[in-house]
Amino acid sequence: MLENIKVSPGPHISKHISTRTVMIDVIIGLFPAMLAACYFFRFDAVRLIATCVLSCMATELACTLIRKKKSSLDDFSAMITGIILALSLPASLPTWAAIIGSVFCIAISKMVFGGLGANVFNPAMVGRAFMAACFGTLMTIWTVPATIDQSMPKLSPQGIVAKTMLSSEETVQAITTATPLSWVKDSLKKKVPAVDIYNKQLKAMCLGERAGCLGETSTIAIIIGGIYLLIRKTITYHIPLAVIVGAFAFALIGHMISPDTFVNPVVHLAAGGLMLCAFFIATDPVTSPMTHKGMWLFGVGVGMFIMLIRTFGAYPEGVMYAVLLMNSLTPLIDRLFKLVPAGGKNA
Amino acid sequence: MAKALTFPGGIHPAEHKELTENCAIEPGPLPRQLYVLLSQHLGAICKPLVAKRDKVSIGQKIGQSEAFVSAPIHSPVNGTVKDIALVSHPVIGREMAIIIEVDPQDTQIQLPDMSKISPDFDETKYDPDHICTLINNAGVVGMGGAGFPTRVKISPNPQMPLDTIIINACECEPYITCDYRMMLEWTDKIIAGVKLIKRATKCEKVFIAIEDNKPKALELFAKRLKESKNCQDFQLCAVKTKYPQGGEKQLICSVLKKDVPDGGIPPMIGVLVCNVATAAAITDAVVQEKPLTHRVVTVSGGGINKVGNFYCAIGTTAGDLIDFCGGLNDKAVKILMGGPMMGFAIADLSTPLTKTSGAITILTKKEIGNAKYENRQTPCIRCGRCIEACPININPTKIAHAVKNDMLENAKQYNMMSCIECGCCSYVCPANIELTGYIKTGKILEARRKKLMPE
Ligand code: SF4
Ligand code: SF4
Repeated sequence: MLENIKVSPGPHISKHISTRTVMIDVIIGLFPAMLAACYFFRFDAVRLIATCVLSCMATELACTLIRKKKSSLDDFSAMITGIILALSLPASLPTWAAIIGSVFCIAISKMVFGGLGANVFNPAMVGRAFMAACFGTLMTIWTVPATIDQSMPKLSPQGIVAKTMLSSEETVQAITTATPLSWVKDSLKKKVPAVDIYNKQLKAMCLGERAGCLGETSTIAIIIGGIYLLIRKTITYHIPLAVIVGAFAFALIGHMISPDTFVNPVVHLAAGGLMLCAFFIATDPVTSPMTHKGMWLFGVGVGMFIMLIRTFGAYPEGVMYAVLLMNSLTPLIDRLFKLVPAGGKNA
Repeated sequence: MAKALTFPGGIHPAEHKELTENCAIEPGPLPRQLYVLLSQHLGAICKPLVAKRDKVSIGQKIGQSEAFVSAPIHSPVNGTVKDIALVSHPVIGREMAIIIEVDPQDTQIQLPDMSKISPDFDETKYDPDHICTLINNAGVVGMGGAGFPTRVKISPNPQMPLDTIIINACECEPYITCDYRMMLEWTDKIIAGVKLIKRATKCEKVFIAIEDNKPKALELFAKRLKESKNCQDFQLCAVKTKYPQGGEKQLICSVLKKDVPDGGIPPMIGVLVCNVATAAAITDAVVQEKPLTHRVVTVSGGGINKVGNFYCAIGTTAGDLIDFCGGLNDKAVKILMGGPMMGFAIADLSTPLTKTSGAITILTKKEIGNAKYENRQTPCIRCGRCIEACPININPTKIAHAVKNDMLENAKQYNMMSCIECGCCSYVCPANIELTGYIKTGKILEARRKKLMPE
């Protein structure tokens, strides 16, 4: 009767979550953003997401085979890396570039460190940084969403701006290369006056009708996914809130000093990859601190670096470098906040 | 009632108390042989006072130790000593036990007689020192889990004067309902026990802490405390239903908002925590001078045919009790002495019950969870869930990692020794890492290194 009786150390029951369910939750959370991307960029979005996901998973499989380990595909973390990478790429990027980026993500920034849980940097962000360095121009060609009638620039958000203040030559440029954030940047350089015109873009940004990376379009879709993760307790509110508060506070300082040069902080929150970063990139458990205090510091740091880079750096968008920078500080942050046991010395 | 009191951290596992909470206490089996272990408590192991083929009678002292931190053991039945030999021990592997062949005339276990204890039980008849002596003679130990000799806890210690008693009626461990049934059925006996502890320790404040998932017990206690003599000042507290609410340090934190110093014990801040089953045993020990030889055991889980709460002789084996309950069904995959969080898995059905075994839980694969059953693990994803769940606020994953890599010093720096082995961290870990298992191993290695424990 005892042949199927097992012994093991306690506790003998466990919560019905596993690394896989946690990862699947994140994928579900990313769905609204993926759907929005597919809606706005049509085939390009499908193409890039599929390419990145498949090549990330293939790379992970290849690495585990080479190291003669059990395949770790079933934890779905490679899939997330692929999705997040795809969502941070511009729609016009050629397929071959996406494949190279994906291979780099998994092989160099994850498997070399020892696979899931051992990587120091967020793999998707490392991959993107690599691509930004290698294919500089390809990474900065922005197509406007397919839902905007491209032949009639007047109807696009950029068109409104273009009509009012830019020459026709610049209008063409506006359609293909400018994201809302590069407008913000231009305003900083005093190329374009009257900053408040961008505030009008806010609605378009929230809904997604703007140029940008696949996943940077619809802020609302991202927030819906983020709320799902919060409800499922897959992430805690600490990092997203800290990123948002950090970025907002920093942008607010600028806006208060000079409302003409610095846009309204709300625009910053809705623009670019900030929301995607707050809910899906910075919250990657592997590369963020473990304690709540650490999470606050990490999140505020990310938010601040994003704004610093957007305001003073050479790039219009700072999410990628901000995350990588704070990733490198994570071990230090974890060491900074020593846990004091209940009834311990400092209590 | 005021807002439920609680402590930081902790978890909410499925309780499954519905299986047995309406099962009144029934007499358990009386097997033909009892295996009374010589070590059922924290502290020195008893020496046998009887020899092979000696006749023993109910309540006769059969084992004792000279050490201060120890508790004597008694025979639960009339019978003959058959042997003194090594048998399986639920916690420490193997240990000596006195094997008693039960007198063929004894065929049944009698439930204790409740009529002697009335609500106006007057504890002032008993002299405090005498209470301590009687408790010691009866071999009463903490019946909630650790088994610390009660006499040591309540005898006055000038270095650590006590001023507060907390009666631990939380029973936070899933499945187990033996304390709950006692609270409903033996209310007066428990209250009498509390009065006796108060008299012996001369404490001023008494709190009775019950988890708020037991509204019936809360109501009943509120009523009886009002009716009984000399206990108007006992405070009844509803504490939040959360595991490990019944942990000594967690309960003190919830009720008094005080922390026991790290590495210390409750008396350092003048607190005595005592389990309800222990309080009932104290009443028996003092009023009837009846030693601790029986206890209520919950048999529960999806792997057994009949569940319930049984009044069993200590020394009954897990197998006897399982047979009495109709045997295991074919879904059973794990037999636990205790509950699913802190209980010990046993592989040998001849493992006997001790004074601290409150339950036998038989789990099915479904109850354990597939991933856990198949031991499917992934690397730590650094999610921090274990830290969040840890009631002691230490970093279980760092400690487990250090122990795994044989870096005990490192593990100690992360406060390994503060761990209370509650299991919350392993419970929540999505990577399914046996964090508690590693930490327990680390503590054993450390104890061996300090030569506190044999290799
Ligand atoms: S077993 Fe130890 S480390 Fe784990 S949660 Fe409990 S006290 Fe914390
Ligand atoms: S809960 Fe498990 S996976 Fe999460 S940090 Fe702790 S050990 Fe790692």
